[in-house]
Amino acid sequence: MSPTISTDLIRGHTTTIILNILRQGDSYGYEIYKKILALSGNQYELKEATLYTAFRRLEKEACIESYWGDETQGGRRKYYRITAKGKERYQHSKREWNFAKEILDRLIQGGLEDEEGSKSTGS
Amino acid sequence: MKKAQSQLDHKIKKYLDQLFAGVGESQELHEQKEELFTNLKEKIADYQAQGMDESSSFKEAIISMGDLSSLVEDLRKVGEKTKQFPTLSPTATRIANAGIIIGVLMTLFGGFTIALLSFKDLKWGESFAPGIFSVFGVSIFTYGFLLKGTSKRPGMKQMRAILYATSAGLILFSLYTAILINLKTGEMAPSIASMMVFFLAGIGLWLTLFLTEPNQRKNSY
Repeated sequence: MSPTISTDLIRGHTTTIILNILRQGDSYGYEIYKKILALSGNQYELKEATLYTAFRRLEKEACIESYWGDETQGGRRKYYRITAKGKERYQHSKREWNFAKEILDRLIQGGLEDEEGSKSTGS
Repeated sequence: MKKAQSQLDHKIKKYLDQLFAGVGESQELHEQKEELFTNLKEKIADYQAQGMDESSSFKEAIISMGDLSSLVEDLRKVGEKTKQFPTLSPTATRIANAGIIIGVLMTLFGGFTIALLSFKDLKWGESFAPGIFSVFGVSIFTYGFLLKGTSKRPGMKQMRAILYATSAGLILFSLYTAILINLKTGEMAPSIASMMVFFLAGIGLWLTLFLTEPNQRKNSY
């Protein structure tokens, strides 16, 4: 069985993931969903239900803003655009992630003996 | 082809209406439905392009969206907020605004005329007469103001606003007659007697309105 990412693990990063997509250009709900899926190499699906709730929150926090597209066939699309505040938030989250990633890796895989014991085990 | 398309549209719309059933109307709800509609439609089209038939693409698209309950809850809250302060119809807004403007102008007109007359002839009894304009002015202003409502208080029903305006008018009219009679006759007794009638009527009306104020409103939301 291939490993999956638990919802618990990804929950705190939903907004950062969305901001990362929008940072690369304006997009709308279903397209953002597909982009996230593609970005994960089809390994992770962020549910649209989660996306729409996150859009509302991000818009309220002024990290993104929305506008309607001018499609005439099949209904208008609601596009999202990242704001300056959103870009700032993204950079901040990215720094946090890079820091946490390293520490977590050490905490999950490392052993205290590996570090100081390199002399003893090395011989 | 066109017919099948509109049938699908209908199906999606029906699904969304059911999903948000019982959620109070709001601009946000309207937009959320439109957003979901467009995206669902595109997703269904993608499934169909992969060879799925229409009805299973519809089902699959909806299931794969995930649990939308927190989104529905979110919009329910928005709907309740909007319901608390129902927006006035354009006509009612116009009437309320007109009431406020006319009321203020009449009140000022009464005041200015009193000032003008009091300089023309020195008899206070006569110069105070135009005060009746201010009495009506305040009354009309009260009506407009209550009908319009503020950001903290929803606009009143038309009948209720009229009654409140009447009670304000009666109380002011009682003061007006009292002052006028006193200025003309110089006696207190008749002025109090005439004041009493209108004053009591006004206070009585106001108390009735105040005590029957629909306070349940707070509980029902």
